[in-house]
Amino acid sequence: MRWLRSWRLPLRLARREAARARGRSVLVLVMIALPVLAVTAADVVIQTAQVSAAEGLDRRLGSADALITYQPGSGQVFQDVDPTVSTSNGTGDTEQVLPELAEVEQAVGPGTTGISWDQGSVGVETAKGVSDTEVSELDLRDPLSDGIFDVTSGRPAAATDEIVINHELADRGFDLGDELTVRGGATYTVVGIGDGTSYHGYPMAVGLPGSLGLAEKRYQASFLVGGGAVSWDQVRELNAEGALVLSRAVVLDPPPRSEIPDEVKAFESGTDSAMVAVIVLIVVMALIEVVLLAGPAFAVGARRQSRALALMAATGGTPRQARRVVLANGVVLGGIGAILGVLVGLVVAWLSLPIVQHFSDERLGPFDVPWPHLLGIAAFGLLSALLAAVVPAWIASRQDVVAVLAGRRGDRRPSLRSPLLGLVLLGVGIAGAVLGASGRGEFFIAGAAIAAVLGMILLVPVVLVAVARLARRFPLTLRYAVRDAARHRSRTVPAVAAVAATVAGVVALGIGVTSDEAENEGTYVASLPMGTGVVTDAFAEGEQWDTLRAATLRGLPEATVTPMQGVAEGGDEEKTSYYVEVLVPGSDDSEEDTRLLEYSSSVFGSSVLVGDELPSALDLPASARGPAAATLRSGGAVVFTDRGVESERIEVVAHRYDPDATDEKVTRVTVPALVVPVADGRSAPVAVVTTATAERVGVPVGTMGLAVTGAGVSEQQESDAQEALAGIDENATLYVERGYQTDDETVIVQLVLGALGAVLMLGGTLTATFLALSDARADLATLSAVGAAPRTRRGVAAAYALVVGMVGAALGAAVGLIPGIAVSYPLTRGYEPGAAAHYLDIPWLLIVGLVVVLPLLTALVVGLSARSRLPLVARLD
Amino acid sequence: MSVKQALLALLEEGPRYGYQLRAQFEHRTGATWPLNVGQVYTTLTRLERDGLVEGAGADAEGHVVYRITEAGRDEVAAWFTTPVSRTQPPRDELAIKLALAVTVPGVDVGRVIQQQRSATMTALQDYTRLKRRAAAGQEREDLAWSLVLDSLVFAAEAEIRWLDHCEARLRRAELERPETLLEEILADEAEAQAHR
Amino acid sequence: MSAVLQMTDVSRVHGSGATEVHALRAVSFAVRPGELVAVMGPSGSGKSTLLTLAGGLDAPTRGVVEVEGVDLAGLGNAGRARMRRTSIGYVFQDFNLIPALTAAENVALPGELDGVGAKVARAAARKALDEVGIGDLWDRFPDNMSGGQQQRVAIARAIVGERRLILADEPTGALDTETGEEILRLLRARCDAGAAGVLVTHEARHAAWADRVVFLRDGVVVDETGSDRADVLLDSGSPR
Ligand SMILES: Nc1ncnc2c1ncn2[C@@H]1O[C@H](COP(=O)(O)OP(=O)(O)O)[C@@H](O)[C@H]1O
Ligand SMILES: [Mg+2]
Repeated sequence: MRWLRSWRLPLRLARREAARARGRSVLVLVMIALPVLAVTAADVVIQTAQVSAAEGLDRRLGSADALITYQPGSGQVFQDVDPTVSTSNGTGDTEQVLPELAEVEQAVGPGTTGISWDQGSVGVETAKGVSDTEVSELDLRDPLSDGIFDVTSGRPAAATDEIVINHELADRGFDLGDELTVRGGATYTVVGIGDGTSYHGYPMAVGLPGSLGLAEKRYQASFLVGGGAVSWDQVRELNAEGALVLSRAVVLDPPPRSEIPDEVKAFESGTDSAMVAVIVLIVVMALIEVVLLAGPAFAVGARRQSRALALMAATGGTPRQARRVVLANGVVLGGIGAILGVLVGLVVAWLSLPIVQHFSDERLGPFDVPWPHLLGIAAFGLLSALLAAVVPAWIASRQDVVAVLAGRRGDRRPSLRSPLLGLVLLGVGIAGAVLGASGRGEFFIAGAAIAAVLGMILLVPVVLVAVARLARRFPLTLRYAVRDAARHRSRTVPAVAAVAATVAGVVALGIGVTSDEAENEGTYVASLPMGTGVVTDAFAEGEQWDTLRAATLRGLPEATVTPMQGVAEGGDEEKTSYYVEVLVPGSDDSEEDTRLLEYSSSVFGSSVLVGDELPSALDLPASARGPAAATLRSGGAVVFTDRGVESERIEVVAHRYDPDATDEKVTRVTVPALVVPVADGRSAPVAVVTTATAERVGVPVGTMGLAVTGAGVSEQQESDAQEALAGIDENATLYVERGYQTDDETVIVQLVLGALGAVLMLGGTLTATFLALSDARADLATLSAVGAAPRTRRGVAAAYALVVGMVGAALGAAVGLIPGIAVSYPLTRGYEPGAAAHYLDIPWLLIVGLVVVLPLLTALVVGLSARSRLPLVARLD
Repeated sequence: MSVKQALLALLEEGPRYGYQLRAQFEHRTGATWPLNVGQVYTTLTRLERDGLVEGAGADAEGHVVYRITEAGRDEVAAWFTTPVSRTQPPRDELAIKLALAVTVPGVDVGRVIQQQRSATMTALQDYTRLKRRAAAGQEREDLAWSLVLDSLVFAAEAEIRWLDHCEARLRRAELERPETLLEEILADEAEAQAHR
Repeated sequence: MSAVLQMTDVSRVHGSGATEVHALRAVSFAVRPGELVAVMGPSGSGKSTLLTLAGGLDAPTRGVVEVEGVDLAGLGNAGRARMRRTSIGYVFQDFNLIPALTAAENVALPGELDGVGAKVARAAARKALDEVGIGDLWDRFPDNMSGGQQQRVAIARAIVGERRLILADEPTGALDTETGEEILRLLRARCDAGAAGVLVTHEARHAAWADRVVFLRDGVVVDETGSDRADVLLDSGSPR
């Protein structure tokens, strides 16, 4: 009570001060509220998008009391409250006959009524081809199904030749009354159009039970039952019979955790400690940034209040009370900012839901406000404002009262301790970075980065004073700005530190990203000779290849398109599957060191190509092409190695697996061979063998792909051809070798990084400049009195922005190098133990942009936009 | 000080006899400048001679009552509208004393100044105290007296300011030639008089 | 009667070595209850220093400062702060008030800082404002008051809670003659009611309101007046 009372006066003062200094208050509010707003909006959208078990009941159950699902072979099943988390002991009979509705009603108990609900997918014939469609056999007329599918026009199906479709399917050319044909099945009349309540974004259809023929191919049977709540005990009983149950009563009023079977509890994931570390790291970084950005405003506020604080001391206030007054500014502005941020965040989230829904297949749940989270987020806002006010409060409580009352500045000399502590922290940061680089990992480096940034903040005053020492030779405006910055350290230091922290982060991440990119580029292996392409289609057979070839030629008229033969490893019509190995004769495939390739994933659709000619799309050194062609002509094989294997002959081993035979059949043939060494065999096929060899080992041979050669394929042509192919078969893809291409994502990450850095940097610089200008009124008035031109104000503004931006960016870049270089070690460490190569690429362009260009640009903008009118009278307040 | 005009101004309010005039005068100026009745009657005779007042008979107790004439009214009006002349600085004992103290060897001028300042300050405190009492009154006459006291207060204050100034000058000019200093001090005194 | 403020051989030296400044040199000085003492001297003579030492805002280099018989040096910072809340009232030349607080809140400040309930402090403040004649302006902010009114509020703050020692540093410096005298009248009235007051000024006319005038030169008391002549003068047949 007494404690509360002691805050009354400070809070009243802070409230009035906030209202008096409106510009500064708005600045702080924006800085506190923005992050709170963003996180609140994101959190609410995520929570809303996540459909909890209780929220999803209606869309999964309709108005039924339970959804009961049988799967053959389950035996005893164990489930959580929500059966999406379940397991079975797998002791059941896989041939078990799925129960009928009557049996299920019996099993649940007397008075139970139910309907069946089978789900599956069919192909619907459309004007353009065939559309994969999710279908349900569910009687939508039955009240139990209310809420699963909303029929918005027409009516539910009432006969087996009627069907209801969703809007996505309707968009493919169907309307009420139209005929709809299922590939390989019946024809239906569309009687209703609507939407599923769980998902949207793909075609769906609902017919009466039995109408779509799902029963024959179903692998599970589901029933919606009503007529009374299904209790947890009933659920356990049904589980024992192999049925999974989603019960409304159980979800809404779950049993204690202790009653959940242990088999299911095993799935409960503990809190991921790495995740926690990441979140803590992000929160700490964000906190530091917000505190630093808001710091200058509080520093200026405290300075403006210094007279009032001195008066308080003269009327008997203690230093602790003075501290409280400044801290109260943080409480008031932080509190308002946090509340404002949360409220506006809620509105933003609400407004953005339609957009989010547009990009999500699953229907969003009801608007969900996670109050405990929001409380935490608001607390973050309040805390950041409080922390931003701590240092100004401390300085204010130590001010020389007599000096302030006499109209002089009452700052005490800064202590030597904090720069020393800064050096120590910086040392800790460097040591941590080195340790992290040599194996402790990214988290260690991130922690070290925070230490380094904190150390840097403590060193900013020293740097500012040092820069001020150099100011003697600067032009007037710059000299004024530098000296003023050094004199008013309480407001300059956090601003410079905010810029520095931002730049440090951007530089560190930038080094990480570009080094990663350098590694990708350095380890890139071309799959094909530069400029050639290949069309593959895992499912194409026979004549389809001719169609694909024609389509490719249509897209690329100048190209030569040749079919490539290969071993059809997938198998043939009888579901017999094959696997072909190429070995050095006499060796066993289990012996690691006789393998020809470290790892292989051919881009040609098959690891063994078959042909009497050398396929033109094969990436072979020019010198090897002649001998390779000759080897094939003489009946030999061309094989590849990246492990330095040398051999004159090789053994082709074919494994054949028949579905009804339990063992495999192995055929071995030895042929002369040309072993071609390649640097990295990752995308090369294992071998090229002749048709004769393939016949001898008895494997089926077919077209595996189309080689596209003889034309420079432009990106536009590539995408045209790609589209033409997709029109025929969506599995067909065209790959054109272009050498290393920077990942779009990497470019986006770099752009986002740069933009975020620029915005934060601009924010730091602008607040500091704005505050410095309002603080410098008296000085500017003096300048105007001695005849300074009005543009002097612009000059001072620009110079100030330059000092804050450049000093901050230079410091930040220097500090950012430490974790940046360190993090490149764990980031670019190869997977294979042998690949020790470390890639480090420092983005100098980015750094120069941040340290030189951006500050100059900011200064220019500030200079041009600053008011050029000089204040005529100095006002004291 | 002009007793002549002061009496005329009092008569403008209405006919009075000699003793009445004296009492009125002292009442309004707070007995700062005492008048004797003889002086009043001499002045009245001279005014009558110049045609500025005229006898208006005697009252019940036999006092000779005077009344202002038209010429007298003009005279009063003229007096109120013309500023008091400063062309001839009145002789000031303190200024002369200081001027001599500065020039005559062996005199501790600082001490002279300090003693004088204390004395003037004490007088100033007295005036202030009187003023506080005067301020308690509500009538117009109280205001009149208070104004007279203010005149004295400001004069004393000016004197103290002048003494402070002299002291500062003396310190600064410890090594300068006394002749020029004397002239300067006299000039400053004239200036201070002008303020009074 | 024992002195409310007793300074004995007080010196205050700023800095050291070549930049040493003797703001006060062995000053002894006492103010008794009911007494208003004026301190006069040119700028830089140490007047403000004397007041900050008397109010415990600054500590003397040598010498003893006692307020109501208590040695300030023995109190510690917290103790001196409490002294200012309960025994010592300050009035400065200008910018005396906290702009974010109303007149009444400014006056209630010592009470609130002392932990008295806001209501009690406010009531005392209203009473003090009535006493200085601006009871009706209690909810005005300093920005909306004239210099004289602000100064009255400052006096009210200095006297609220029956504080016994009032230290005023050129309280009339920023005011015109008439308004300045109103302020002096209030100070005087407070001292007549039993408080002890120290009035720093460089204007003789204002110093004359005091019972005693002390002249400071370069941190040294060079002279002092004390007078009973006014009473003599009053007794000797003046009309009042
Ligand atoms: N903090 C300080 N550092 C150095 N000198 C000071 C300080 N405070 C006051 N002084 C010096 O002490 C002397 C007395 O100052 P002060 O008491 O303010 O004089 P006054 O109020 O009479 O004008 C002056 O010479 C002033 O320069
Ligand atoms: Mg002073």
